[in-house]
Amino acid sequence: MGKKRNHIDPLTFIVVIVLMGVSTFIVYSASSAWALQNLKSESGLVNKHIVKVLIGLVVLFIGIGVDYHKYKDYTKAVLIGAIILLVVTKVFGGETKGAVRWLSIGGFSFQPSEFAKFALLFHLSTLLSTKKEKLNDLKKGFLPLLMWVGAVSVLVLAQPNFSMGGIIFMLGMLMMFIGGARIKHLAYSMLALVPTLLVYMLTAAYRRQRVLAYFGFGDNPEGLQKAKYQLWQGIIGFGNGGIFGVGMGQSKQRDLFLPESYGDFIFSIVGEEYGLIGTIIFMTVFLLILLRGLRIAKHAPDDLGKFLALSITVSIVTYALGNAMVTLGLVPTTGLPMPFVSYGGSAIIFSAFAVGVLLNISSQTEMNPRLAPIEPAPVPAVKPQPSVGKVF
Amino acid sequence: MKIKAYIEQLFPADPAIRYRWRLLCVKAGFVGLFLIVMGRLIMIQGLNASKYREAARKQYEARVVLPAVRGSIYDRDGNILASTSTFVSFTADPQIASDDERFIASQFSLCTGKPEQEYLQKLKTDLRFVYLEKHVRPDLAAKIPLSKMAGVVKMNDPVRMHHYDEFASQIIGATNSQNAGVSGVEREFDPVLRGTDGFVIMQKDGLGRKRPSTDYPRQEPINGHSVYLTIDFTYQSIAEEELKKGIQQTKAEAGIVVMLKPSTGEVLAMANYPTTNLNDIGNADALKNRTIGDMFEPGSVFKIVTASAALSANVVSLSTHFYAEMGRYHVTFADGRSRTISDTHGMGDVTFADAMAHSSNIVMAKVSNLIGADRLYTQARNFGFGISTGIELPGEISGELKKPAEWSGATLNSMAYGYEVGVTPLQIVSAYGAIANNGILMKPYILRNETDAAGTIVREGTPQMIRRVIPEDVARQVKSMLVGVVDHGTGKGAALKGTTIAGKTGTSRKYVNGGYENGVYNASFVGFFPAEDPEVAILVIIEHPAMEYYTGAMASVPVFRAIAERIINNNGALTRTMVAERSGSIVLPDVRTLAAKNAASMLETIGMTVHIVGNGTVVRHQSPDPGNALAAGSIVELITTEDATMAHLVPDLRGMSARRAVNTLGSEHLIAVLIGSGCVVSQTPEPGVPVRAGEKIVMHCEPNQISTAQLY
Repeated sequence: MGKKRNHIDPLTFIVVIVLMGVSTFIVYSASSAWALQNLKSESGLVNKHIVKVLIGLVVLFIGIGVDYHKYKDYTKAVLIGAIILLVVTKVFGGETKGAVRWLSIGGFSFQPSEFAKFALLFHLSTLLSTKKEKLNDLKKGFLPLLMWVGAVSVLVLAQPNFSMGGIIFMLGMLMMFIGGARIKHLAYSMLALVPTLLVYMLTAAYRRQRVLAYFGFGDNPEGLQKAKYQLWQGIIGFGNGGIFGVGMGQSKQRDLFLPESYGDFIFSIVGEEYGLIGTIIFMTVFLLILLRGLRIAKHAPDDLGKFLALSITVSIVTYALGNAMVTLGLVPTTGLPMPFVSYGGSAIIFSAFAVGVLLNISSQTEMNPRLAPIEPAPVPAVKPQPSVGKVF
Repeated sequence: MKIKAYIEQLFPADPAIRYRWRLLCVKAGFVGLFLIVMGRLIMIQGLNASKYREAARKQYEARVVLPAVRGSIYDRDGNILASTSTFVSFTADPQIASDDERFIASQFSLCTGKPEQEYLQKLKTDLRFVYLEKHVRPDLAAKIPLSKMAGVVKMNDPVRMHHYDEFASQIIGATNSQNAGVSGVEREFDPVLRGTDGFVIMQKDGLGRKRPSTDYPRQEPINGHSVYLTIDFTYQSIAEEELKKGIQQTKAEAGIVVMLKPSTGEVLAMANYPTTNLNDIGNADALKNRTIGDMFEPGSVFKIVTASAALSANVVSLSTHFYAEMGRYHVTFADGRSRTISDTHGMGDVTFADAMAHSSNIVMAKVSNLIGADRLYTQARNFGFGISTGIELPGEISGELKKPAEWSGATLNSMAYGYEVGVTPLQIVSAYGAIANNGILMKPYILRNETDAAGTIVREGTPQMIRRVIPEDVARQVKSMLVGVVDHGTGKGAALKGTTIAGKTGTSRKYVNGGYENGVYNASFVGFFPAEDPEVAILVIIEHPAMEYYTGAMASVPVFRAIAERIINNNGALTRTMVAERSGSIVLPDVRTLAAKNAASMLETIGMTVHIVGNGTVVRHQSPDPGNALAAGSIVELITTEDATMAHLVPDLRGMSARRAVNTLGSEHLIAVLIGSGCVVSQTPEPGVPVRAGEKIVMHCEPNQISTAQLY
């Protein structure tokens, strides 16, 4: 990369590294009781998590190191690959809770939907940056984009994975909205989606019950009881933590009261152990990621960088907010991981890579300029001062 | 206008401006969502945290009750009558247990020795809950491999042991399945016997598994207090045995014996027949203590009231002559109605004293006319009739004593010989106690003392004087009349050599369903001895004896005499064995004052688990108390002390009854060796000599004369 590089955004970097580091403590605390019960070892789950965090760190630095412009020519191919993967998964994949979501390659299983999400967002960014002028046009601009969004969303929905499919669709819509698509087109697309979603929702009993139950209707099937119980236990966790929390590693909810305390409901354990102070700091961290991400987008050297930065930021923040709102009972229970923190599959790796890309964009802005060497300082024998050459 | 401008700006023509506005919308939307999430966090974790904390605490903590041990019941000498042992019960859910019913049945069969078929039968049912076995000793229960049995549950089962089956059932009373007293002393003293359950808070996880927590307080149970009654084991036994004998001889239906100590009011015995086994209650009606709960028309035994009133009012003297109308006396009342009063033995001219000795209704009726309604009523009231005695037992009734204003024309005469008045057996014997006690009525009581779990006395029953009923000289005169009854009157059969007995026969009717039973008579005799310095007052009522034993003299007097004779001669040879000895439990020996080490090994060899409390060398206190029957494996706590002064001084036993001497030595941890029977006349070592616990004291006894011997 012959281009001149500035420093990456230090705040975003620190915050994400700290989140990934802290997540190991939280996952350990949240999973120890479950792991002891099911894996006969308190650290059975956290060990797997640590491996993923380490891989995440590696891909984070890969993301930082690779010039984001290089992705431009491959996004389409990668997205097509992702779509094929989704189809393959549907046919050959492993089941989780009745849905085909996992693909195991060489003993390493990952969630193609997570991969497809970023592939779609990357490709959308490429398209938005190149077709920006035509986006107003339904046939030349809007429909080609919608086609990609629709393809990925429908395939994920068909896994079936309602929440993930819905969120991918919403993220696609959001990106087109920012990119300048006409409100009318977006509105019609949404309208077209509603009956599809309704039919989809009502075809599977468990989804219908979940949605109905959230709005206070319907009978109380067992699955719903479990979801309700999980939510109630999650909220007890928050409340039990109070303002200051019960202390690191002192969670009681993780003692098999709160199902999946280490997964989608890990934020509740954060609330229990670190209290309101902890959760507010936690949310502030993601708010910070939002603000820094938007700032990076604003200063991005070109449209590709801008839309990539936006899509990455929006995606991560949407997940964080969505997860928090689920655990706090503000929206119906769906399976959304807390980015960087929840134990779980490949999400942390993809997210880490995406942040790496975001940081690479930040390094190509003038936000954190390297100090220009003050004239050719004629001290050739001495290496540049480390403080100048540091990453941040 | 403003809003419209904003909306227009969402659709600006310039892409750059459009982009900026749309981005701002997205940013605002996200920030808004962040604010909502944070608001929700503040609500849950700040404002409403206590509510969720409470919910959390509830699901983390399990309160496990540590049951208090119910206190024991003892007689006046410390003989244990009732105590609690922890047994084990097994229950099963047949729907689950039926999977390996053969295994379960065979294991239980091995444990209890009952046939397998019996357990298989129990498991073949549609019920979800059956008792497989109740009241299993803990050591046997431990042999059941519970972990290999699905659907079988073990429960701790505190069992109230009544050490002598049907002994004093109505006094001691029964407990229900929750171990709460439902009758008798068990009920009256339930609040103190019960103790206070402790608890320990266990931490629970999501699967309901418990583990003890060190973070939470543990509330130790406060064991129940023990109650020592004024009841004398020997006297109660004698009363029950002789009552039963008498009832069988006279082909009667039922009977009552009450004994109390006139000078204090201590109840020494209360026997009811028929009775029931407290360990296996067959006839719940027999649990009623009829000595305080049944009302009788007393008949002739009430004549002491007439005599007391007449002598107090100075309207007669013992030698005043009356004409007894040769047994038939026709009376016309002021309202014109008339009736005939008759005597069993027709007499002519008699003194007042002889009229009493021969129980003349006619003379009493004549005397009542001299006394007048008010004075007779007041006298009866002062003797305690018509008012409950306030004894510490449940179910006491007050009897029925009408006020003169409610009397008919015949009431004055009728009441003079004990009709138209309702009394309880305890009221009768208590009134005779007042005569014996020189005219002072004592309140009958049954609580000798109450001790806490550590053996410290926390409440003591003390004699309570109610009132002087009659002047001392009148008491003496009435007493001499009662001596006359036994000496040469209707109570002759009660006379014993060497002891002067005062008493009175009577024929009473029982109050049933709003009226007195017609034609069904109860024979009663009430008396006290020695007349000079009465130690014990006894009432015997034989209910509905066969016709040939119709009167008090024939049915009750022999029973009274047999009881008195056995008491006086201290013939305490009892045929009863303790239940505990029969049922495989172990009666706890007294290890107090022994070296802690020796005590522990001694208890361990008989199968107890010993906990030593304190670093002392000598056992100061043991819990449960000695004499308790425990299942093998039960925990015995020994509280030790450094105080090594183990020496005791030999008490002065001379003059004591043999039984009392044995009990006295027992409480001093000395061993009694008896030579002869009756009262102690000499002892080795001499009183005051220091001895160690466990040493033998040899006592020579001789049968005694009641007039010289101290009963207590």
